[in-house]
Amino acid sequence: MHSRRLLTAFPVLLSLLLLWAAGALAAEAGPTRIGVLAYRGPEEAVASWGELPARLARAVPGHRFEMRLLAGPELREAVRRGELEFVLTNSSQYVSLAAEFGVKRIATVMLPEALSSEQAIGSTVLTLANREDVTQLADLRGKRIAAVASDAFGGYLAAAREFLGAGVDLEAGDARLVFVGFPMLQAVEALRAGEADAAIVRTCLLEQLAAKGMLRPADFKVVSQRRPFGFPCATSTPLYPDWPLAVTRDVDRQLEKAVAMALLSLPPSPSGLSWDVPADYQSVNELYRDLMIGPYADLRTTTFRGVLKVYRPYLLAALLLLVGGLVHVVRVETLVKRRTAELRRAQARARELQREAEHMARLSILGEMSGTLAHELNQPLTTIATYAQGLERYCASGQTDMAVIAEANREIVAQTARADQVIRRVRAFARKRTAAREARAIADTVREAIGLLTTLLPDLPKVLLDDRLPPGAMVEADHLQLQQVLLNLMRNAADAMRELPADARAISVVLERVDGDTVVAVTDRGPPVSPETLARLFEPFFSTKPDGLGLGLAICKSIIEAHGGRLRVEPRDPPPGLAFRFNLPDSRSDG
Amino acid sequence: MDKSLTPLLHVVDDDAALRRALIFLLESSGWQVAAYDSAEAFLEGRREPTRPGCLVLDIRMPLMSGLELQRILNDRGVCLPVIFLTGHADVSMVVQAMKLGACDFIEKPFKDQTLLDAICQAVRRDLAQRDENDARRVLCERINKLSPRELDVARLVAEGLPNKIIGLRLDISERTVQVHRQHLMEKLDIHSAAELAQMMLRACQGGA
Repeated sequence: MHSRRLLTAFPVLLSLLLLWAAGALAAEAGPTRIGVLAYRGPEEAVASWGELPARLARAVPGHRFEMRLLAGPELREAVRRGELEFVLTNSSQYVSLAAEFGVKRIATVMLPEALSSEQAIGSTVLTLANREDVTQLADLRGKRIAAVASDAFGGYLAAAREFLGAGVDLEAGDARLVFVGFPMLQAVEALRAGEADAAIVRTCLLEQLAAKGMLRPADFKVVSQRRPFGFPCATSTPLYPDWPLAVTRDVDRQLEKAVAMALLSLPPSPSGLSWDVPADYQSVNELYRDLMIGPYADLRTTTFRGVLKVYRPYLLAALLLLVGGLVHVVRVETLVKRRTAELRRAQARARELQREAEHMARLSILGEMSGTLAHELNQPLTTIATYAQGLERYCASGQTDMAVIAEANREIVAQTARADQVIRRVRAFARKRTAAREARAIADTVREAIGLLTTLLPDLPKVLLDDRLPPGAMVEADHLQLQQVLLNLMRNAADAMRELPADARAISVVLERVDGDTVVAVTDRGPPVSPETLARLFEPFFSTKPDGLGLGLAICKSIIEAHGGRLRVEPRDPPPGLAFRFNLPDSRSDG
Repeated sequence: MDKSLTPLLHVVDDDAALRRALIFLLESSGWQVAAYDSAEAFLEGRREPTRPGCLVLDIRMPLMSGLELQRILNDRGVCLPVIFLTGHADVSMVVQAMKLGACDFIEKPFKDQTLLDAICQAVRRDLAQRDENDARRVLCERINKLSPRELDVARLVAEGLPNKIIGLRLDISERTVQVHRQHLMEKLDIHSAAELAQMMLRACQGGA
């Protein structure tokens, strides 16, 4: 990559080397081998580095240095086989070798124009001065670009990273690359000949060629030019470190140290090359990572575009299958969703109707009992009015026994509470509501139902509640619905015994646990019922009562079934009478 | 005034609170009150039945209703004016009660004056009835003093028949009729056939 080399006669150098090598062989067990990247052929390499072994030998006494000129892949192979003690190569290969074989830089080459060991080399992207359509790297998308080689650092890679940053992935074929090889001038020639729209060359080549009169700078312009302060050349990229000299893994620490010291103390070569402390090659690493090449090459194959490039036909086929599958899945999903929504709507409608029916049934119970209800409200109202008027008279008659007045007042307050309670119960029972399940002791629900029924039916027979459930047993259910069921069953029981003498009437409510279910049985002692009637009891609009709606038991049944249980009726044992029995599965253990 | 003649009100209501309220109101208004928690309790243990008064009766009670109680009282010939208290009165119920001789029908809740007026009227009626009964009893006692033959003659005289016809009917002489007639007029302390007719009518009405 470095030009302005003094062309020394190769045979002379070779003989010199051989001579030196022979002497070294005599003195030491073996030579210290330095692998040198010969990217432009051995001559160029020797021209650049030929003096290095001799200079090192002078600086490190007792060691014989041998230079091996190798192309990129051979150099890597030599490192792999452990045939080299030192490696001198470009930044990009160094980064690869460091990652692969753990080679470690001990010094970095400095060109005279370099700002520092870390800012020495970059790429210049040239186009013809008259190309007004090209001012930025992004303008070169899809255009022809001449570059040196795919592994040339200044001649390709440094620029490739900037192209990528501008959205043009050269590695993925976003532009038509033409690799012209060395000498680098060929890239400029291709541009000049109109074979390319742009050329990528290393920094300072343009200036060097111009200085030699090989081109007129005015014919060209630099795309996306940047000007690092103090750097004498035009560049399209940031600057990166130049070549390092690296030591391979098994080299003696003393030798490593001695060589490093020697390099740093070497005076600049006639061509202006000098050595500096090893640079940080992180920027080069990042370049590789961005381009997903070198040690990061597998990144490219695993990215979508990389994979796409390699497996395009298979991917296409797979994609087609996938799309086909997706279309099918989406279609099926849509259908399922639509059907599900329809089903859900139907269920919601059914639930709504059910709620309406329950509400109707509750209202009809209230309607049938409105007489008793009025009586129940009238009683406290009358009592209150009577006390109040009595008080007026009591006071008007001049009597002032405060105890009597207080007692009357207490009665008034108590009756107000009584009326309030009636209204509250009825309202709670009659209002429309959504189902709400809660865990609760069913005995409480039964007691509430008895309380409400006592309000509605003053001549309710005595109700015997037999709670055989374990203490603290809870039932998760809609307890208002259960109350409605209990109310219906108990009212039916009371109706069935209307003709019996008062002391023969009794309703029994038994709560027990059977096979994990809570079972509630409501039993009356009414007259016998024919098997035909028994069979039809749960049918909607079937009623044995003259003013019955025939919905009560049908709704009870659906409520119990909504709780996962069953409502059954059987003759009381012993007769007479009927036993209505329903079970409520333990919803919590079912999940 | 003789205590046995002071009116006593009987209140029958199964609702303890209302019963207490009625007692309070009525006592505050100067009445004496006896209260019962059911129709049965009243039938079994009516206090001081000899005192005048009236019955304040809740028509709707769990075991025996007010109407049933009224019917039983009628059957037993107990004359006690009844005031019904009712939450909601339908026409058939009112008609039935009135046929059975109810005095008044008061819907709950009521104005105290309405109840008190009704009670006054009922008690007055009871008192009047008792006076009437007393008068009838006196008549009956007098009539019962007559001999069977005199009673026969008295009935026919009350029908307005002349002595001659009475004699023919009873197969006795006109003269004998004349003698009986004179005696019974003296016994009954009356002076004309018209008076006798009136008295016979009143006494027989009571069925005594």
